[in-house]
Amino acid sequence: MKFGIFFELSVPRPLTGEREVFENALAQARLADALGFETAWAVEHHFLEEYSHSSAPELFLTAVAMQTRRIRVGHGAVVCVPEINHPIRVAERAAFLDVLSGGRLEFGTARSSTWTEIGGFEADPDATKKDWDEYVRVLPRMWKEPRFAHQGRCFSMPERAVLPKPLQRPHPPMWVTVTSPGTELDAAERGLGCLGVAAASFAEQERRTREYHHRIRSCEPVGGTVNDRVSTLNFLYCHEEAKIAAERGLRFLGTFAMLNAHLLFTREVYPTSAYQSLANLAPAPSRSGGAPGDAPRVPDGLCLGDPEQIVRAVKRWESIGVDEINFLLNASEVLPQQQVLDSLQLFAREVMPAFRPC
Amino acid sequence: MLIGSADPQALAAHVATLQGFDGEPQKLPCVETLQLAFEFESAGMEALLPPALHPTLPPVVTWLVQRVDSSPWGSFQLAQCRIECRSGLRPRGFLRAGAIDNPEAGVQLAARWGYSLRGAEIRLDRAYDRIRALVSSGGRTLLDLELRDPAPVRGEDVFYVASMNLAHTPRGLRLVQVDPEFEVERAERGRPVLRHFEAAEWNAGGVRPRHPVSASFTLGAVTLPALRYVCRPDVLAFEGSERVG
Repeated sequence: MKFGIFFELSVPRPLTGEREVFENALAQARLADALGFETAWAVEHHFLEEYSHSSAPELFLTAVAMQTRRIRVGHGAVVCVPEINHPIRVAERAAFLDVLSGGRLEFGTARSSTWTEIGGFEADPDATKKDWDEYVRVLPRMWKEPRFAHQGRCFSMPERAVLPKPLQRPHPPMWVTVTSPGTELDAAERGLGCLGVAAASFAEQERRTREYHHRIRSCEPVGGTVNDRVSTLNFLYCHEEAKIAAERGLRFLGTFAMLNAHLLFTREVYPTSAYQSLANLAPAPSRSGGAPGDAPRVPDGLCLGDPEQIVRAVKRWESIGVDEINFLLNASEVLPQQQVLDSLQLFAREVMPAFRPC
Repeated sequence: MLIGSADPQALAAHVATLQGFDGEPQKLPCVETLQLAFEFESAGMEALLPPALHPTLPPVVTWLVQRVDSSPWGSFQLAQCRIECRSGLRPRGFLRAGAIDNPEAGVQLAARWGYSLRGAEIRLDRAYDRIRALVSSGGRTLLDLELRDPAPVRGEDVFYVASMNLAHTPRGLRLVQVDPEFEVERAERGRPVLRHFEAAEWNAGGVRPRHPVSASFTLGAVTLPALRYVCRPDVLAFEGSERVG
């Protein structure tokens, strides 16, 4: 089991605190690097007030790379829609980051799920899946081939050298963000890693993981290598006292869930078969009586607890075939920075040793 | 986090009175539903919602115009103007105002599901190249919109959010959650065109539609459900939700 951290870079209203949020996130990444976390991921989002101000994650990740020595940088995920990112620029920026980071790039791909973003760029919701499919097939070729030409559906280009080339050979590991059920199969068929970004139940994750591993055995890789890893998203707040951990963790989870739920999802306002679910990322805090208004409790599988509780949850994820867990550490700065850093340190001290290879 | 800022008591001047929470579901066998969605100017969007609800970004107004061929109260046509919003984590549409062309049906919809409706003339016309809805009162056009160039889509591609209808209820002023079940037999979508919208007539004076989002049309049975939840309008849904069914 490997552990990563995952940044949305959410900024509380009145939306003037980006500097502090970015600095706090960089400090968390530096500490995670020192503590032995595997990857620091940053999402790409646009126009998502408060929820995520991570509109230029490649810049943030460059800063992470420059301030760390070992941790990998996860560009997760680049929106592969031409109105938002031209594929040539995607290839260039990713390769540049791989070179600058000394070959530490993990490269995630996505297509966006919100009308806020897709509508904001006036992209065609019906086309985003096809766009994404074209991107994941051409990007490895841009990175590998000395010169590249393309006549495609969403873009074309005459022969040119797309530069620089990535440091990793044949190219950085590629992933697909998985929110909607079924996308894990899209990932498997193309030989791409399954980057879970929506919290799923144990049973749902087990089903997805089983089907992913089954399907990837017969994949036709779009790149020069197969990435068959499965990662999931989780929420981390670790404290010696379970009660405090639950109380603070629920505040963090509730804030994230509210901000996420308030995005305007494409499925909600635009009739299309291209978006079959709302793609909410967070589980709602469980209700003790099962109804709105009842007292909340930590949903099963979330890492909001004391070290012992978290070890149990991670072992369960491990038992169903998850290779990596990426943790959100905060939402809209609802947890003070020192609490976040203390939580990371406690996790590294008390939880990580249970998952180190012998 | 953005939260509605409208005064519930001020909104209460226009709302229906719900008779009780124990009504039976009502299936309406053949309903045509035209829905248009437009983004509108965000300035003042919080003032369109009570404190229980949160606006979306961007803010979106939807209009539903329905033709119901048969019901226990006869055939009727219904038009609604709603603001897309969130109740806690759930997507909802806050009913600002509605109109109906059958007074008996209007009384029933108000008493059993909390719909606040005025009398109006409503036409829903289907042509080969467009589906048009026109709502007028006393010769004055209140709403004129259409779906242009309809093309078939799958029924499950069309998404309807539950309504939050502010109403006087036996528990006091409450948002009544109404989540109709659509059994779609046929669905189309097309280009949304808004020809005329008298916002003030829909109790939506701050709504200035700017950017078209979508237009859809469905045909099929719609079941108005038994009520399950209501919510106090003055506090967040996590605190104010109450089970009634």
